[in-house]
Amino acid sequence: MKKITSGIFPISLVLLAASLPLFLGAYPQAVARSVFTYMALALTWDILLRSGQVSFGIVGFYGLGSYAAILLAVRAGMPPAVAIIAASLFAALIAFALGFLVLRLRAMYFSITTLALAEIFKVIIHNWNSFTGGPEGIVLPQVVFNGDSRALYWLSLGMVLVVVAVSVFFEKSRLHYSLTAIRNNEIAARTSGVDIFANLLITFTVTSLLQGLIGGVQVFSYGFAMPDSAFDGNYTLLPLAIALLGGIHSTWGPIIGAILLGVASEYLKLKIPYGHLLVYGLIIILVILFIPNGIYGLVRKGRSKRNG
Amino acid sequence: MRLNRKVIPWIVIGVAAAAAIAAWKPTALIYGVQRAGLYAAIAIPMALVLGIVHIVNLSHGETLMVAAYATYTIAQALGLDPWLALVPVMAVMAILGYLIFQLTIKHTLKAPELNQLILTFGIAITLTQLVTLLYTTQTRKMHLSYVSASLSIGETSFGVYDFVFVAMAIAMAVALNVFLTKTRFGKAAVAVGQNPRGAAIVGIDVQKVYVVIFTLSVILTGIMGSLFMTRQSIFPSVGGPYTMKCFSLVAMAGIGNISGILYGSLVLGLAEAVINGIKGMSGWSNIVFFLLIIGVIGVRAFKERKI
Amino acid sequence: MAELITKKLTKQFGGLVAVNDVSFSIKSGEILGIIGPNGAGKTTFINLISGIYLPTSGSIEFDGVDISQKPAHERARMGIARTYQLIHPMENLDLLENVMIGFLFAQKQSIAKARANAEALCGTMGLANLHRPVSKLTMLETKKMEIAHALANGPKLLFLDEVMAGLNSDETKDMIATVKQLAKERNLAVGVVEHVMGVIRELTDRVIVLESGELIAEGPYSVVSKNPRVVQAYLGGAA
Repeated sequence: MKKITSGIFPISLVLLAASLPLFLGAYPQAVARSVFTYMALALTWDILLRSGQVSFGIVGFYGLGSYAAILLAVRAGMPPAVAIIAASLFAALIAFALGFLVLRLRAMYFSITTLALAEIFKVIIHNWNSFTGGPEGIVLPQVVFNGDSRALYWLSLGMVLVVVAVSVFFEKSRLHYSLTAIRNNEIAARTSGVDIFANLLITFTVTSLLQGLIGGVQVFSYGFAMPDSAFDGNYTLLPLAIALLGGIHSTWGPIIGAILLGVASEYLKLKIPYGHLLVYGLIIILVILFIPNGIYGLVRKGRSKRNG
Repeated sequence: MRLNRKVIPWIVIGVAAAAAIAAWKPTALIYGVQRAGLYAAIAIPMALVLGIVHIVNLSHGETLMVAAYATYTIAQALGLDPWLALVPVMAVMAILGYLIFQLTIKHTLKAPELNQLILTFGIAITLTQLVTLLYTTQTRKMHLSYVSASLSIGETSFGVYDFVFVAMAIAMAVALNVFLTKTRFGKAAVAVGQNPRGAAIVGIDVQKVYVVIFTLSVILTGIMGSLFMTRQSIFPSVGGPYTMKCFSLVAMAGIGNISGILYGSLVLGLAEAVINGIKGMSGWSNIVFFLLIIGVIGVRAFKERKI
Repeated sequence: MAELITKKLTKQFGGLVAVNDVSFSIKSGEILGIIGPNGAGKTTFINLISGIYLPTSGSIEFDGVDISQKPAHERARMGIARTYQLIHPMENLDLLENVMIGFLFAQKQSIAKARANAEALCGTMGLANLHRPVSKLTMLETKKMEIAHALANGPKLLFLDEVMAGLNSDETKDMIATVKQLAKERNLAVGVVEHVMGVIRELTDRVIVLESGELIAEGPYSVVSKNPRVVQAYLGGAA
């Protein structure tokens, strides 16, 4: 019984999501795209978190992907699809190279380094005027799909489904076991044959690739890239709050969190234009203190209690 | 302060570099040293908390920022000079530090380290946003005459006020050294930092040490916030970069090595000043810190080869 | 037939020499006792062999290969396993999954195969209700899981670091029998660190004695236990 329902529910959810543009207007579609972007970023943050490493720099690879994509289109004339994929691979390459240096570090050293890296990317792009257009950024002559709201929505949905699929893969494959082992007890993991460095490198590279992908899709959907918007700290902050609230170490958690907070943030932005981000800061504090496993974590706990 | 044979070649290199900088652009040397003082003075309280309570306080820079705003508000409201406003600000920061610790941080001490990282990140955001709500993002500055005091040596003239940061850094380092090695509470705190369980067994009140040290760190950071206010324009997100730079310094120096922070700050302050001095490169000076820290930590991690 | 040989193995932490110039060997089928007073370097020694620490000098050879600089996970894949004195089971994995880890990564098996093998191994160790969270296990079950976790590597060489600590006399007898049987069935080389001399006497063929990081005696327990230097090491007295 459980097997049937566990397949049907996600599929019907996807079908529902895909059909939304048929009965919702342009504004809800734009909100949904925003939700998908944050959902995807939250998932990539969570995937790395499953290994015990906290990144505070997901905006770094997101911004890098944005800029790589737009530069490839504007300066090398690449078509959008190619540019996005190439940008993702570029982000992955940078992550792989940096990973060699950075992944020998752990815990707080790693976390602060990710924060620093994001800043470094931003400064480089901000200052390299001749190539990146500096503080004014770059504009695309044309937004992809001519800005058709539905097409952009489905592009965004496709993107988040790719990220969801990767997250599920990480949950169902041997990576789930190796990452959890590393997170729980690194030393015992090592003497049980887990190659920690390889696992972290793979995870870091894949999640950075996805962050680049998300950035690439975003930049083609809106048609421009600027250092301040491409490297906006919100792209680190909100995904964190989303994953925490929804429930870390899971795929459903960030999905739930993104839907809840994504919708709430639209409302908050209208009510408290200055400092509505305060809510996210408070959410992070409250979740860590009182429900560290988030909403989905509570659901799982309740379920296992019922099963005995 | 430790001084062994290994350090001497580095000191020689350091002095040579300083002389070279002075020959090229004397103001770079002076501003570098002053900047170093600022960074060191802000980093030392972070090192204190990291070494004894073993938490990375990602809201450290925001603490600085809050103190600066508190100083601004109190000084404006009461018509005081910021240096006088320091006293009530210290009281405010003491209360704030105590509350933050008791309400939030205390509860994550036994949890995995990443909980503390995320929690203090959340506190940083909350503080920044609270200040944004109350003060908007408009920058604030106080115009004090003594801040532009300058001196002329030969052909170079430079501002001298910023040496107050250097003085603060040295004073803090010395005072903490005395506190931690000569007072009873200080020695207990060091014991807690090295081995909390062992310290508890011999009867030290570990919780009390944690609360006091954390609050002390917030007070010290608050003092620097007040001084910061006298010299710089402030805005809600002014604190962020300082968290990173301070962590870089503390990480470079190694946990518990306060004198290392002083030396490290000199290296970083001078490097920044040099880059700032080169025409057209000033936008890049910020990342000098980050690149240096990644380099140093990377090298050290490689040497220890944990994997 | 596997053999572990250490030659002048030394580990220094700053000024402290934790393991000093230790040369010894152990072969498949042998159960070797490793004894010595507290702080003698026994756990450091195991850490060196399993790869948690790299030696300051000296060498370790296993199955004819110099493993002195090999990372821990490679040594695990070559057939070295150990238990930990302070057992920290992986709290986000249940009992079965904890045991699966070695099958998955030291033996590189698929999830399905690892699960089947882990279930079988738990069965032979007398562990049941495998989907319980590890926080809910009794002391004996935790110890058995720890041993199973190590055996999941499919090792040729196994180190047991004070597995008997905290067990009552019945449980200890049970555990001794289990270890003997496993060693025989799988032709393992087993190194047993223990403080309880009764266990050493019953379980081991041969014993090495460490004191302050140095190997001070070697031989069957009955001989070594009468060695005056060994007695002195345990009772203290003038050096």
